[in-house]
Amino acid sequence: MKTPSLVIIAAARTPFSRAGTDLAHLDAVELGRHAVSALLSRTGIDPMLVDETIFGCVGQPPEAMNIARVIALRAGLPESKPAMTVHRNCASGLEALTLAHAKMCAGQGEVFVVGGTESMSNMPFYFSRPAVEKFTAMNRARDFTGRAKAALHFRPADFAPVIGLKLGLTDPVSSLNMGQTAEVLSREFGITRDMQDAFAMRSHLCATQANHLLDQEIAPVFSHHLVATDNGIRADSSLEKLGKLKPLFDTVTGTVTAGNSSQITDGAVALLVATEEAAAAHNWKPLGRLVSYAATGCDPARMGLGPVRALDAALHRSGWKLDDADVFEINEAFAAQVLAVMKCLADPASARRAGLEAPLGEIDPAKINACGGAIALGHPVGATGARLVQTALNQLHATDSKCAVISLCVGGGQGMAACLEAL
Amino acid sequence: MNFKQQLLIQLNAMKTFLNCPSIIHDPPHVLEDIIHGHPMPPKHFGLDIDHDGIAWITFDSPKSSANVWNEETLREFNHLLETIEHDTRVRALVLRSAKDRIFIAGADIKAIRSMQHVRVNDLIWLGQAVFDRLARLRMPKIAAIHGACMGGGLEVTLACDWRIASDHESTKIGLPETQLGILPAWGGSTRLSRIIGVRKALDLITTGKLLNASAAKRAGLVSHVVPAERLEMIARRLAHEKRPGLRFRFENLFSPVIGYLAKRKVLEKTRGLYPSVTKAVEVVTHSVHGEIESGLLRERNAVAELIQSRDSARLIDLFFKREEANKHPAPVGTALPILDATVIGAGVMGAGIAHTLASRGIRVLMTDVTNDSLARGLERIHGLVSDATRRRLVTKVQARDTLDRISTTHVPVPLNRHHLVIEAATESMELKKKIFADLAARVSADTILATNTSALSVSDLAKTVPNPERVIGLHFFNPVHRMPLVEIITLPETSPDVLATVVSFVQKIGKTPVVVKDSPGFLVNRILVPYLMEAVRLHESGIPVKDIDEAMLEFGMPMGPMRLLDEIGLDVAAHVAKTLASAFPDRFPHTDALDKMVSAGHLGKKTGQGFYRYENGKELTTTNHSDLPRHESIQTNLALLISQEAMRCLKEGIARNADDIDLAMVLGTGYPPFRGGPITFARDTGIIDY
Repeated sequence: MKTPSLVIIAAARTPFSRAGTDLAHLDAVELGRHAVSALLSRTGIDPMLVDETIFGCVGQPPEAMNIARVIALRAGLPESKPAMTVHRNCASGLEALTLAHAKMCAGQGEVFVVGGTESMSNMPFYFSRPAVEKFTAMNRARDFTGRAKAALHFRPADFAPVIGLKLGLTDPVSSLNMGQTAEVLSREFGITRDMQDAFAMRSHLCATQANHLLDQEIAPVFSHHLVATDNGIRADSSLEKLGKLKPLFDTVTGTVTAGNSSQITDGAVALLVATEEAAAAHNWKPLGRLVSYAATGCDPARMGLGPVRALDAALHRSGWKLDDADVFEINEAFAAQVLAVMKCLADPASARRAGLEAPLGEIDPAKINACGGAIALGHPVGATGARLVQTALNQLHATDSKCAVISLCVGGGQGMAACLEAL
Repeated sequence: MNFKQQLLIQLNAMKTFLNCPSIIHDPPHVLEDIIHGHPMPPKHFGLDIDHDGIAWITFDSPKSSANVWNEETLREFNHLLETIEHDTRVRALVLRSAKDRIFIAGADIKAIRSMQHVRVNDLIWLGQAVFDRLARLRMPKIAAIHGACMGGGLEVTLACDWRIASDHESTKIGLPETQLGILPAWGGSTRLSRIIGVRKALDLITTGKLLNASAAKRAGLVSHVVPAERLEMIARRLAHEKRPGLRFRFENLFSPVIGYLAKRKVLEKTRGLYPSVTKAVEVVTHSVHGEIESGLLRERNAVAELIQSRDSARLIDLFFKREEANKHPAPVGTALPILDATVIGAGVMGAGIAHTLASRGIRVLMTDVTNDSLARGLERIHGLVSDATRRRLVTKVQARDTLDRISTTHVPVPLNRHHLVIEAATESMELKKKIFADLAARVSADTILATNTSALSVSDLAKTVPNPERVIGLHFFNPVHRMPLVEIITLPETSPDVLATVVSFVQKIGKTPVVVKDSPGFLVNRILVPYLMEAVRLHESGIPVKDIDEAMLEFGMPMGPMRLLDEIGLDVAAHVAKTLASAFPDRFPHTDALDKMVSAGHLGKKTGQGFYRYENGKELTTTNHSDLPRHESIQTNLALLISQEAMRCLKEGIARNADDIDLAMVLGTGYPPFRGGPITFARDTGIIDY
């Protein structure tokens, strides 16, 4: 039997807004619902045709366990169609897409709504374990005096919240936070502060230039006021301004700043995907095809190098050379990390350290993240993977070219990559 | 005691134990049947006495979806009570209904309407006597309410000790009698204030509003709200409890003051035009204390007087007309279900329509040309939804679902899946034609294309699209969520299926459809224009604005004509008037006053200056003229114009019948319902010769 091939029919996303700004009062469900609802109205398809909804979300809100199901129902997909949530950290949005392909291959559906959503503004605050125990003791007390006695055990420190976002961005195995893993790469691969700042500036300026292209991706959100554009992009970004920022993770000798890292952002992306046969049967005109994909593992303390072997594997499976691709979308978790990946792809010594036998070659810098990346647009962790697909296909159509390669590094020491072809 | 008697007692005890009919208590049954001529088993009720000694009375009128009180059902119920009184096994009584969505819908108004007054009085006597008998039964009495419980349906439960209700959406509890020009006279006006306090009782009775189960619980009307399947369980539990006494209501001590204030408020609001409400306030506040009998007497006297009035007859007629319009499908054609719709335009009307549709479960795609106008439309919808949530008309979940059902787009998207598109763009033929031409290319061949125009010709629009048999007018009134009327404008070529689908769609979204022919101004606006123009002419001839408005308020209109013009906007009114004047030359009162005011930039409330002056949307107080004799002549003059134009519409066949015209005017303009509508008014008063 011929393996079904997955085609992407349409995409829609919310604007990406810095955490705590325009979209802060919408939770991940609301954002995801908006993206799916816009996708359905833009395509005008009958929701009954959708076999399953798969969404990625890293920080699933406790009030919406299996957030994909909540999103699907609220966006008007039929109750009879199932939904599931996937988690591969920063690649969750891409994982939703590749899982749909896996399901197609297994004969478990032909049309899927996939995507990712994240409201980093709404990451919960927790209580520490000792505080939780004290609360439990207080609740167990039978009468008022018992409760009062239990309450006396509280200390001010118990009320200091444990910040969910901080926990989420720390790798529990190496106990380094994501910024620290970027510092490791900056040290080991000799990525200087200036190189990082220059890359960050480029991201902002590219995003500014590609404004009209990015706006096409967006389905405006109305909440109190109209939110129709990404708000993280700084058209006035300069080396001077970036140079003034203090290192965040290693305050003395560090190079990674808020300016050359991805932004903490709210947003959601939804894609309509189907088997090529189903698309043809419904007369849908696809935007592109998923040619190959791969997820690989690496050292959690150097998670930023994840894309190196993932790219190698994905390219190998598609039979493409590095040069074949016209568009590269490599998620900008950190400038240092993207630069390290590029170095590992090109330089033999670095390639070996990243686990490649031989370098794959040099990527034309103009091909990388031509619409800017997460440094300018932001990185709503669960959604980014799906946005890379959308942005890559958009660029292919805008420049009338054929092949795109996308990749993300994944917290916990993984990489994921996919090859896409415009149709 | 002789041996035979002892034996009988023992035998009886045994039979009770075995749950068999007792022989000792058989004779009274027979006796009763002979006396009252009721040898037949009840047709409308089931009686089931279980081993617990609970008598389950199940109201289940055969061949009907509703249970109602009429002479027959009341007599049967009376007979059951008698049976129970004489059956020593029975220690508690539960009243319930076997219907899906109705507990007891109240009195059989249809029957009452055709009865002679003497018989109506008899029926009121009977109802009071039967419910009083229930109240006097010395055992716990529980009403298990599932479904609509209105009027006499609620009054019978007030004679019980407990009311428990199902949480089903069909459970609606209230006393709507005053809306029909009468008042609760089967003990409702007397007992309600003793149960929930005089203030809440007055509120329920004077507004006639229906409460859902949780609101009824909050009001203290029901004690438990549980799923329908659990009513029996709770009833059984309560049957074992001690009968609760009535709670002391502190506020009831002040019933004279509360009554005085309530009456003043009612008079202010209704100008004494609705005597049933005033009477109800009197009866309720006087019957808070003392013997139940004296309250019942007051109820009887009041209702006997009210039910003879023409007002009440008109209100009852209108109620049936509306029921008919709300429930009956179009006579021919097959209605298709509509689950989603597109609304073109996010202005006041577009957003209003989208909101109403979404709140009734329809998924709506709202489109407009710019994101900004969509944003304004959505902001309006958010406002409506949060307003409804604040006023507890909808729950938070319902509010969220309403918003979830609305999506928007400012770019053209494929619409071929949608079965209904409602165009609600600005009133311009050019624009509408463009939209229709564009729509025709994007929708499927059988998508119903509706236009929400208030004056433009639907047939002109239909010419611009292929398959004009799917074009129809859907004239919503502003504000959409409040106005109950929708004019459905048909063309000769409109297909029966399209009409049937649209009629059932309008009914589904909770509005009352009135089918009219395509003709300038359709029905409501056309009838309204000569009235408004004459009002302007009167003003021009020197009559103060306030006098004209005052006169029509006394007639019963909710708003005077001058203020209405200010609200509509003088430019809009002038435009509609001109359209109509050119369609029906030499028919309408001619006046230049509107044009003059429009060219001076005085457009009504929106510009701060119309016939009244406004500041920040509030009217500046004007001197109060009052000239009563003049009021009467203004009233006759203006009311005549309305009725005349209504008659013309009837003769021209704009509406299907006189009932539709009356209904449309009452629902669309607030024409005083107790006058029955302009055509009924003309007939009743003889101001127009037939």
